[in-house]
Amino acid sequence: MNTSKFVVAGLALSMSAGAFAAGAHGGGHGASSGEPAKASEAARTITVEMYDNYYEPEAIEVKPGETVRFVVENKGNLVHEFNIGTPDMHEAHQKEMMMMVEHGVIQGGKLNHDMMNMDMGNGHSMKHDDPNSVLLEPGQSKEVVWKFSDKGNIEFACNVPGHYQAGMYGEVNFE
Amino acid sequence: MKPRFLTGLLSLLMPAMVLAGEYDLTVDRVKIDTGDFVKEGIGYNGASPGPVMRFKEGENVRINVTNNLDEMTSIHWHGLILPFNQDGVPGISFPGIKPGETFTYEFPIQQAGTYWFHSHSGFQEPDGAYGAIVIEPEGREPFRYDREYVVQLTDKHPHSGDRIMRNLKMMPDYYNREQQTVGEFFSDVSENGLMNTVRDRMAWGDMRMMKADVEDLQGFTGLINGKGPEQNWTGLFEPGERIRLRFINSSAMTYFDIRIPGLDMTVVQADGNNVQPVNVDEFRIGVAETYDVIVHPKDEQAYTIFAESMGRSGYARATLAPEEGMEAAVPQLRDPARLTMADMSGMPGMDHGNMAGMDHGDMDMNSSEGMSGMDHSNMEGMDHGSMAMGKGGQSDPFYAKGSGLVPTAANGGKFLSYADLKAQDPLYEDREPTREIELRLTGNMERYTWSINGVKYEDADPIRLKYGERVRFKFVNETMMTHPMHLHGMWSILDVGADQWNPIKHTVSVQPGTTVYMETEVDAPGQWAFHCHLSYHAAAGMFRKVIVEGGPESTQAKTDVIAKDGGEV
Repeated sequence: MNTSKFVVAGLALSMSAGAFAAGAHGGGHGASSGEPAKASEAARTITVEMYDNYYEPEAIEVKPGETVRFVVENKGNLVHEFNIGTPDMHEAHQKEMMMMVEHGVIQGGKLNHDMMNMDMGNGHSMKHDDPNSVLLEPGQSKEVVWKFSDKGNIEFACNVPGHYQAGMYGEVNFE
Repeated sequence: MKPRFLTGLLSLLMPAMVLAGEYDLTVDRVKIDTGDFVKEGIGYNGASPGPVMRFKEGENVRINVTNNLDEMTSIHWHGLILPFNQDGVPGISFPGIKPGETFTYEFPIQQAGTYWFHSHSGFQEPDGAYGAIVIEPEGREPFRYDREYVVQLTDKHPHSGDRIMRNLKMMPDYYNREQQTVGEFFSDVSENGLMNTVRDRMAWGDMRMMKADVEDLQGFTGLINGKGPEQNWTGLFEPGERIRLRFINSSAMTYFDIRIPGLDMTVVQADGNNVQPVNVDEFRIGVAETYDVIVHPKDEQAYTIFAESMGRSGYARATLAPEEGMEAAVPQLRDPARLTMADMSGMPGMDHGNMAGMDHGDMDMNSSEGMSGMDHSNMEGMDHGSMAMGKGGQSDPFYAKGSGLVPTAANGGKFLSYADLKAQDPLYEDREPTREIELRLTGNMERYTWSINGVKYEDADPIRLKYGERVRFKFVNETMMTHPMHLHGMWSILDVGADQWNPIKHTVSVQPGTTVYMETEVDAPGQWAFHCHLSYHAAAGMFRKVIVEGGPESTQAKTDVIAKDGGEV
């Protein structure tokens, strides 16, 4: 039990760091995926449907500086994520998601909410509540409001293990 | 190979009309050049392997098969769900196709994915009579990839199938080069002591098996899409593309461990059915299985597709490269695995007196004194972590605990297990099986007899199933070899402990000393073959006819029409 608690705590730390990694850290290549925004700033709503294991649509067009309100619906039978980031960010996040699977937080078509909400101390948890992403059970729907500050190599992606590799990603094309 | 669309103009006028494709295949004598040797064989449309048959889900296919041989032939569409009289097994589905005759298969395509076809007559399949089937789904693929390749493996042997069978019957270890030597005996004696070594050898002798019986057919050249390792089949890509590789193991006898050094592979389909994606470094493909993987090479370099045989007696090799002629390093073969006492734990009637000190309940190799009789000398260079020896290393619930066969990835990473396979979109509702049928996989290696429940095909009654029931099959492997069990006509729902997410397959590998369960929704009337897909095991009698009783009137078997004539399976 001690060991697993330790690992879970480690995971919680890395998960909450993820949000900032998305904004500030993606740096290595001068890439940034943008920043969270308020729904009132969004001029446009894009509905993204998630299936097993792909998105519809699979590509979107945005203008640099534009804020978009995404309505994300999970229409599949499995848990899926909608996460905005660069390919490098997604790759880093996939390791965290792998741990979530190994710890039973993600179980095929279900999320273990008790596990996600567990207080890990220091205010950390595995809630997966970064503003650039949502993690949804089948039938769930949530919103992400995102400002695409600058042009970049940005994708929306599902980082549940194997899903991104199988092709569950979409391109963000800048006009 | 171009489908001739019968519907032609009509289809434009009547969009609701079902698409019908017509295809022609000839069965021919061909030359097979492996790079190591050239020999006569059998192929389709003048080549071995035959063409890739591309169908579309929802299509009705008509396939005209012309037999240009001077012997009977047949084609079985491996993994396809179709009326039993189109299944292509002589003596069970139909009489077979006579020399000079053209037989027209006609059936609806009701599924999508990667499959294959092969002769079900004599040893024509090991002699080269096989090809690939790719079925495009009605809707979209639930993956994204930029290009795809069929990667079809086989174990081409310089001897003909008939000759191999004769030799195996005469001398079952004829093709087993990995046998333990007198030298090994003495090195074991010096390491383990005389009594322990003698006891070990006597225990193995009692089982009519040898430790090196991982493969009973060695001396082959591994081919990929008909090319030997030196001929190096090459699939081109542009860096950054995602490539779907459709692996098909069309070997007579050989399991392959497959990896592509430098690339992660994501398994997205097994036996034609989509699975929840699994990222792996390496996977083992059983005889007759298929696995589809997606790879994403980002660099402008060549990558080797390396397929080592499970017993490490040979390999197949191919290349993914941005340009023809580029190649990457070809790894060395790893040391062969040796069976352990755990791999024979399923064997009944063993004289336990010879195995004093062994703990049969739990073959933990650290705890059991009798195990000191095992030849650790042979395990030098082996990754002991791989052997489920209680170190918390790699283990696989589909191998006997302590098995010498548990596979490990060459790079220390993830090796696919059956336990990782979960249906992406389950075909059937989960429900309680109506009954269980136990099938013990049995054999005597010294006489090269292979059987089910101790009875070989020619002496056995058919297995009778009732239309509408769900049967749970319990495979108990009492031999020391791995058997890929293939039920025709109906899906094998492999029990990996995932309930409604259990994957559906057409071929289920049962490792030595293990019990594996699969369930079948009996939804296909008629009569079907059910057998070990190792060619020489099937021919030696590890084979059953399955009769499905009841079901829609028009589709029931008229057995008197089928019997005789083709006879041989």
